Amino acid sequence: MTLLVDFAAWLGTTSLSALVIGHDWLVPAIQVVHILAVAGVLIASLHIHLRALNVLERDVAQEQVAARFLPILWGALGVLAITGLLLIASEPTRAMFRTVFWVKLALVTAASVGTWAQGPLALRYNTGGVAVAPAQRVLAVASLLVWLAVIYAGRWIAYADAWAGAPA
Amino acid sequence: MSLQSVALWLSETPLALELADSNWLFGTVEALHVAALTLVIGSIALVDLRLIGVGPARGSAQEVLERLVPFTLVGFGFALASGSVLLFANPIGYSENFWFAAKFSLLALAGINALVFHLFAQRKLAEPGSVIPRISGAISLSLWLGIVIAGRWIGYTL
Repeated sequence: MTLLVDFAAWLGTTSLSALVIGHDWLVPAIQVVHILAVAGVLIASLHIHLRALNVLERDVAQEQVAARFLPILWGALGVLAITGLLLIASEPTRAMFRTVFWVKLALVTAASVGTWAQGPLALRYNTGGVAVAPAQRVLAVASLLVWLAVIYAGRWIAYADAWAGAPA
Repeated sequence: MSLQSVALWLSETPLALELADSNWLFGTVEALHVAALTLVIGSIALVDLRLIGVGPARGSAQEVLERLVPFTLVGFGFALASGSVLLFANPIGYSENFWFAAKFSLLALAGINALVFHLFAQRKLAEPGSVIPRISGAISLSLWLGIVIAGRWIGYTL
């Protein structure tokens, strides 16, 4: 935890932190951008996974749906990383010292890999047309549930207790 | 019955007392609200962007509309239900909050815009180069952005 404490202390001294703290409206404004990017992640993942489940865009090859929506997923994740870092800078002693924040990051990683994997899986099983391999169905349902869990964990950062001995 | 007396009555209901007592319940309903509203925003944004003539949605504007509006409606249903529950957490605070009033005014405008689109603008989709659907999409996109902003600001001004 020492490393995190040092990082939080350093972050608190940066001009980035001073900038975000210095304007009342900036934190909710960053949160608005964060929420819009979540919407981007959700709609992109829904397209990729619901295509794999044969619910959306059945007449389009799965790899093509993935090729159209993965850039949106990566772009939105980039915006989430930047706005998330800014939100941490606004209150360095908050998120990083709560287990649920690290759970959220792990879930984001898992769901991102799961969503990316639909394209390669479609090529590997060469399902073409409307047939979808069972592994892809399982992956679709699991990934979408993990994205929901990410939203839940994100909201939970506000309510979870900090670790014992975390900087106040 | 005035708005104040409705708010006061809501604040004394069992649901209000339960929400005030329980972080667990309030946070869970909030998370559901966030998930629902991101579904609304994501699906509406793709439709609006397609009306404007950009974005990743494939097919004609009419096809995109038919494909994605069900997602918007499902998301809106969940947002409405979870939002109604959240209302019980602080009815008096919300009833006196500027941004809460702003959010619902913008929601009403978005509803009117959707109705106008359905009644008048949608038939213009078949006319190539018609500017009406573009305007409708741009208005919708702006209103929903305003709704998200106003919604987030409620939390900071209660």
